[in-house]
Amino acid sequence: MSYFRVNQNCNGCLACVENCPAAALAFVDQNGRRTLKHSMTQCARCGQCWRVCPQDAIEFQHLLTGQWDDVITLDLIHCQICGEPLYSPAYRQRIESKLNSTHEGLCSKHRQSYYAAKWPYGLPSRAKTDLK
Amino acid sequence: MIVGDRKPLKEIVSAIKTYKQVLVLGCGSCVTVCLSGGEREAEQLSRELDQVRHYQGTPPKFVVGSILRQCERDLVLAYQDMPAGTDAVLSLACGAGVQTLADAFEPLPVIPALNTTFLGASDKPGIWTEKCKGCGDCILIHTGGICPIARCAKSLFNGPCGGSKGGYCEVGQGIPCAWTQIVARLKKMDKLHCYEQIHTLKDWKPGGAAGLRNRVRTGLGDGNQRN
Repeated sequence: MSYFRVNQNCNGCLACVENCPAAALAFVDQNGRRTLKHSMTQCARCGQCWRVCPQDAIEFQHLLTGQWDDVITLDLIHCQICGEPLYSPAYRQRIESKLNSTHEGLCSKHRQSYYAAKWPYGLPSRAKTDLK
Repeated sequence: MIVGDRKPLKEIVSAIKTYKQVLVLGCGSCVTVCLSGGEREAEQLSRELDQVRHYQGTPPKFVVGSILRQCERDLVLAYQDMPAGTDAVLSLACGAGVQTLADAFEPLPVIPALNTTFLGASDKPGIWTEKCKGCGDCILIHTGGICPIARCAKSLFNGPCGGSKGGYCEVGQGIPCAWTQIVARLKKMDKLHCYEQIHTLKDWKPGGAAGLRNRVRTGLGDGNQRN
C-alpha cells in the first residue's frame, strides 16, 4: 500500500516526476498504459510534488500521518501462573545459552514463589516464629 | 542539522501560565533526531507542564500534536489543524519553525519551548557538536574539512592563538583546538601548504552581516501559490 497517493484528478502529466528533488518518483509506460511509481526510501517528504501538481491530485496527508505496516509477528511465552507475556522463544534460547540453564516461563513475581514452593526443607524456623 | 535544547521548565511555565488552552506542537525533523522537540518530547513536556503546583490558578489545558516540518508555511496551513479554543501554541521546533507558525497563525501567540543552538553533526550517537556557522563563504577546502569559524572559539583564520595548549582550547571544557586539528588533518592530506596561505579579511555579508539571507529557486510552484 503506497503512502504516495493520488486521487482521480491525476492525468499522468508527470509534473511531479520531473520536479521531485529526491528522484523518488518515476513512471513506466507499458502496453499503452502509464504507471506512476514512488520510492518511500528516496522520498524526503518535501512536498514539492504536492505543490507543483497542476491538478491538485496528490493527497500529501498520507505521507504525513498514515497507516502502520506489520514488521514481524513472533510467538510469545507466557508466565505459567499468571499469563503475563514474557519473551519470544528465540529470546529465551538466547538467555538460556548465555546463562547455561533452562528457564521455566515465569514472571519475576511468580519465579520467587515458584522456587520458594519447591524448596524441600520448608521455611527457616525463625521465619516461622516471625510469621506468627 | 539544526540542534536545540529545551528551555528550563520554569521559563516555559511563566510563558504559558496565563493561557487557557495551549497546543504543544512537536516537529518531526531536526529536533526529533536530536531528541529535543519531537512528538515524544512534546508529550513529555505537556505532562510536565500539566501539574497544578506550577500554577496559582487552574493550569491551562494542553493539547499535543506534531507535524513533519514546522518551517514550511503552506504545509502547516494545509495540514496543521488548530484545535478550537487554542489561545497559544507552544512550539518545540527550532526558531525557523516557531516563526513560521507565528506568521501562519498570527495573531495567535507562538511560544518557543526550545533554545535553538547550532548547526551540528553527530560524531557519536547521542552527541551533537557544532560544526557550521553558516558564514556563506565556505573555506573548508583550505582547512582540510574542519571549520575554524565554527570550531575555533575566536574564529581565527590563520592558525591557533597563544592559548592553544596540548591540542586544547584555552576556553576549557575539553574543547579541542580547531587549528591543531586542522594542521593535523592537512598534514595527513599532505596539504600543509594550505596552512601557509594567509587568509585576509573576510566579507561577512554572505554570513548575515548585511541582513537576513534568502535562497530563491524559481520555477517551483510559482504559478501555483498555496496560501
